[in-house]
Amino acid sequence: MKANLISTFTKHIAFVIVVIALWEWGARTGVIDQSFVGSPLGIASFTYTNLLNGRLRGDLGWTMLSVTLSFILGSAAAIGVGLVFVTWPKFEAFCDPYVSALNVLPRIAMVPLFILWFGLGIGSKIAMGFSLTFFIVLSSTVAGIRGISQDHVTLTKTLGATSRQLFFWVTLPGAVPVLFSGLRLGLIYAFLGVVGAEVIASERGLGQQLAYLASTFAIDGVWSLLLDLALVGVFLMKVMNWLERRLLHWQ
Amino acid sequence: MIDIKQLNLSFDGVNDVLSGIDFHLGSGEFVAIAGPSGCGKTTLLNLCAGLVEVPEGQHISVASKAPMLGGHDVAYMLARDSLFPWLSAIDNAAFGLKVRGVPESEARVRAQTMLKRVGLAGYEDALPKALSHGMRQRVALARTFAMPSPLLLMDEPFGALDAQTKLQLQDLLLQLCQDSERSVLFVTHDLAEAVALADRVIIMSSRPGRVIADVAVPLSRPRSIRQLQTNDAFHQTYAAVWRHLEEGWVHHEG
Repeated sequence: MKANLISTFTKHIAFVIVVIALWEWGARTGVIDQSFVGSPLGIASFTYTNLLNGRLRGDLGWTMLSVTLSFILGSAAAIGVGLVFVTWPKFEAFCDPYVSALNVLPRIAMVPLFILWFGLGIGSKIAMGFSLTFFIVLSSTVAGIRGISQDHVTLTKTLGATSRQLFFWVTLPGAVPVLFSGLRLGLIYAFLGVVGAEVIASERGLGQQLAYLASTFAIDGVWSLLLDLALVGVFLMKVMNWLERRLLHWQ
Repeated sequence: MIDIKQLNLSFDGVNDVLSGIDFHLGSGEFVAIAGPSGCGKTTLLNLCAGLVEVPEGQHISVASKAPMLGGHDVAYMLARDSLFPWLSAIDNAAFGLKVRGVPESEARVRAQTMLKRVGLAGYEDALPKALSHGMRQRVALARTFAMPSPLLLMDEPFGALDAQTKLQLQDLLLQLCQDSERSVLFVTHDLAEAVALADRVIIMSSRPGRVIADVAVPLSRPRSIRQLQTNDAFHQTYAAVWRHLEEGWVHHEG
C-alpha cells in the first residue's frame, strides 16, 4: 500500500517536471509564444519578487480578510434566518419567492451595484462574498434541521426536555453534518465571490493584482497569482477538513 | 399505573383508530400488547406517553394523572435504539437523567452502573458507530432503566434485532424488571416475546383497534427465556394467544 502511494507520487512528480521542462523549452526556443503563455522560470522569478517586496503578503491578507468576514457574516446571518424559517414555516413560505429569485440571480452581475453602495474597498467584496455564502448556508441550515431524526426528537420530548435542551442537545448537533457541508461550500463561494469582485474593480487584493497584470500582458505574473489562488483554495479546504474531523468525528 | 375506560380515538373525525378500549395496568405489572400491524398499539402507547393528545371527554389516567408529555413517572423506549451518534455510550445512557435535571457527575455514575448491568462495562467511551445493533439496544435499555420512572413504555424495542440477540435482550429485560420492579407496557407483534415477558397479554383487533382478549400468563417469576422453551404453560399460553388473534382476523374479515 505504502509502496503504491510512493510510486503514484513519483509518477506525478515526474509528470509535472516533464510538463514544466517542455513548457520552458518551448518558451525559450519560440515553439510557443511566451507573451501568451509565459514561462516557468519567468513565473518563478515573478513569484520570488512578489514575495520579497511584500506585495503578495499585502494583497493576500486583504483578500483573506474579505473572505473571512464575508464567510462569517454570511454564515451567521444564514443560520439565524434558517432558524427563523424552521420555527415559522409560514414565514418561510412567504419569503420563498424572494429568496429563490435572489438565489438564482447571477451575483457577479450585482458587483457594480455593490461598488456603488459600498465603494471600491473591502465593503463591496464582503457584500459579494456574503451574498453567495448566505443562500448556500441558509438552504443547508434548513435542510439540516428538518432532517434530524424524529426518533431523537420524540425521545427527548418524552423525557420532558425544554426547548433550549432540545435545540442545543439534539437539533444543533443533529443538523451539523448537513450544515457543515453547506459551510464548506459557502467558504469556497465566499472566496470565489471576493476574488471575482476584486477582478472587476478593487483597490487591493489578489484579484485586483491579477486583473492589473492581465491588462498589462504580464502573463508570468498572472500564472503566479493563479497558482497562489489555487494554493489558498487548497488551504481553505484543508482547514474545513480539519474542522470536520474535529466536529464530526462521531460519523 | 394506567387506567383507560371506553377510549375511542379518531384522527380525522371519520375513521376510528381505537374503539372502546378498556384497559388497566397495575403497579409492578408487565403487560404486553400484541396485534396486527396498524391496529393502534403504538398509538395507545403514545397516548399514555402524552405524545398524542387525549380527545376531550375520554378517560386515560397514567400514574393517577392525565397523560403528560415529559412526565417524570414515565420512561419511553422506542423501536429503534435512537442513540445519539455524537454521544458516547455513557453519555447516551446518562442523557435522560441529565434532561431531567440530575447533576452531570451523578448521572454519569448511575449510567455507568447501568451500562455494567447490561453487560457493557468497558464500552463507556465507545461511540454508537462502534457498537453492534444488540449493544446499541443494550445502551438504550441502560438509558431507560437509569431513570427512576416507575412506568416504562416500550414500543417494539427488540423488533429490529436478529433472533439470537433478541433472545439475549429479552432475558436481560426480564432480569432488569425483576431487579427494579417497574410497571411495563410493552408493545410487540411477536407473540412468543409477549408471552415470555409479560404477566398479561392484551390482544388487539385490526383497525379500529379493540381489545379482543386479555390473556393471563401463568408463568412464575423469576423467569429465564431458555427455560421457557421447554415449559408447557408457555406453549399453551402461546397457543391461546394465537387462537385469540386468529379469531380477531376471522371476526374482522367476516
